Amino acid sequence: MSQVTETTLVGTSALIERLLKGQFICRTTDEDGWRALKNPDTRERVEAYLNQINRTIGSAGEGEVFFCGYQQLGESERKVISSQFKDICNALIPLVEWLVLVQEGSGQDAPLSEGAAVRLTELQTRIEDTPAFREQLAKISHYRLFGSTSSNVDAQIKLVFKRLVELGYLTKPNAEKQIFIATGKLDYLYEVIRFIDETEGLSLEAQAETATQRDLV
Amino acid sequence: MSSNLHQAGVKLLKQLGRHAELVMDVYLSGSVSEDETNAAAIEKLRKSDILWRPEADQELRLKRSVRALLEEALSDERNRQIDSNVGSSLASIKTLAAHYKEARHNVDYAASEAYLADLSEHVYSFADGLRYSIRVLWSRINNEFGYVGTINAKIRENELAQKQVTELLNGLEMFQFSELGEIAGDIRELRKLLVTSLQDTLSDCTQELSVVQGRLLELLGRFRQIRGRTRLLKGWLLYTDLHPDYHPADHVSHKQLPALFNCAEALLAPAAVDVHSSLYEPELFEIVSNIKRIDRLNAGHVIAEQDVSVSLSQTEDFDIPDNPLKLAVDAYFCAVIDSGKSQSALEYLDEQALSWDRESWLYQVICGYEGLPEEHRQYFELEAIGESDPVYTGNFVIRDVELWLA
Repeated sequence: MSQVTETTLVGTSALIERLLKGQFICRTTDEDGWRALKNPDTRERVEAYLNQINRTIGSAGEGEVFFCGYQQLGESERKVISSQFKDICNALIPLVEWLVLVQEGSGQDAPLSEGAAVRLTELQTRIEDTPAFREQLAKISHYRLFGSTSSNVDAQIKLVFKRLVELGYLTKPNAEKQIFIATGKLDYLYEVIRFIDETEGLSLEAQAETATQRDLV
Repeated sequence: MSSNLHQAGVKLLKQLGRHAELVMDVYLSGSVSEDETNAAAIEKLRKSDILWRPEADQELRLKRSVRALLEEALSDERNRQIDSNVGSSLASIKTLAAHYKEARHNVDYAASEAYLADLSEHVYSFADGLRYSIRVLWSRINNEFGYVGTINAKIRENELAQKQVTELLNGLEMFQFSELGEIAGDIRELRKLLVTSLQDTLSDCTQELSVVQGRLLELLGRFRQIRGRTRLLKGWLLYTDLHPDYHPADHVSHKQLPALFNCAEALLAPAAVDVHSSLYEPELFEIVSNIKRIDRLNAGHVIAEQDVSVSLSQTEDFDIPDNPLKLAVDAYFCAVIDSGKSQSALEYLDEQALSWDRESWLYQVICGYEGLPEEHRQYFELEAIGESDPVYTGNFVIRDVELWLA
């Protein structure tokens, strides 16, 4: 019996640590943690622990992504959230442009979402071969979010991917291979865009549809 | 009559076999144009109704029945034709059942037997057709409509498949087993065919079709989600292009904070050792030297933060110069130079009554030899004395080493 509690404690301690580090827990980044949070019992235990320090578990992407939020919002918490919101708003345009570039560059009809793999070398070849993609990459990499000053495609793309791993949108499961996997944080990003779209009534989808139809005509 | 039919059929099949290449070419490309090389073959195929010309100025095509045969036999995924016309099958089954009953009533055994065979054929082929339709649907679901490129096309394909499923299900609803039971009456053969066998098939198929329907809806949902996301991204770019000074409203200033934006600040900053700082080198080396665990289970497990490679290029800085074992080995080398004779390392060890462990001594002698600078090493010759392992070839067990001046 004691062993059981011990292992669950050890398991959730790593999970709690990750949550407190501000990481997003999804199936791709931390399958054990994700499973633990999917389980109502462990989730409750983690929640109880976090509540003691005014934290709670938040979730997005139809309950597939978990992150740590505040339980009670005071002045200082609101300040933090406000600054984080600003950060994410500033990151939206570069990230969306990057997502579209990856989608078009790899010739896929689905945008990147959790669990999808990007082979950097393949993508790089395609971008290098297409002037329009090269321009787009240069534009993206020079955003403050990525902050590249290089004019070389290789350096630009490597930096962008490195930053995205740091920001938690991608993981690199094998340090020696240039294969990146999209994480649940990207799904969170989609939800943020959708939220903004819905609350501000931008009707982005309808606009995109009419634009494509105009293109077809 | 039947032997005529048999012969004609064999002839037809032989013809198909003889022109297999041509038939497959037509199957794959859709149509064929006549030229001198294949004119004769095409003419023959046309005569036996394997190829046909839909319109006067059109190219020749395969007959639907041949194409269907190939599609089914090859389980070609491009096949999306599904025979959902259950009504006509049902009607012909009922008609044949009536014929059979009449013949039986008239005690015309020959006719009734022929009708029964015909009826069984119809019932079985109906069941087979139904199962085949379901198989086709599954194969399309399983590769997620991979034969069309864009997500919009996939959505359309999915909608087509759903329509087909609905039609099939509607058709199956037309089967009234009470009615079939009445038709069958108390005739055993008919009951077996119309009630037992059909009912089994139908309940199986209906069940499977509802699973298919569920999967199709699920897929459609996913396709729509993907399309929605693509449009969302495109729409966002479009919008920000049109409104360059657009900024999202401050959604977090409301009293009721949307749960989505409630992200706490990181309490624990990610920590990593700065392996490039030379200040920590002694500590790091101590840590590294303590690593002994052999952990095959976690081999290949990489921690995300740990992408800095530890370089051990300057190990000689950490050789402790006054290691007594090394000094003793140096003395041994000097003794060999002084005597000018070859001497085995263990003999020297015993002679000098040194306290070193024999194995460490041998290792150190070998290291000492290998560690000599090139110009010094060429004055010495070192030979290992020992034997090959009796069991495992390629392994050489060193018992002693001998050193002499070259």
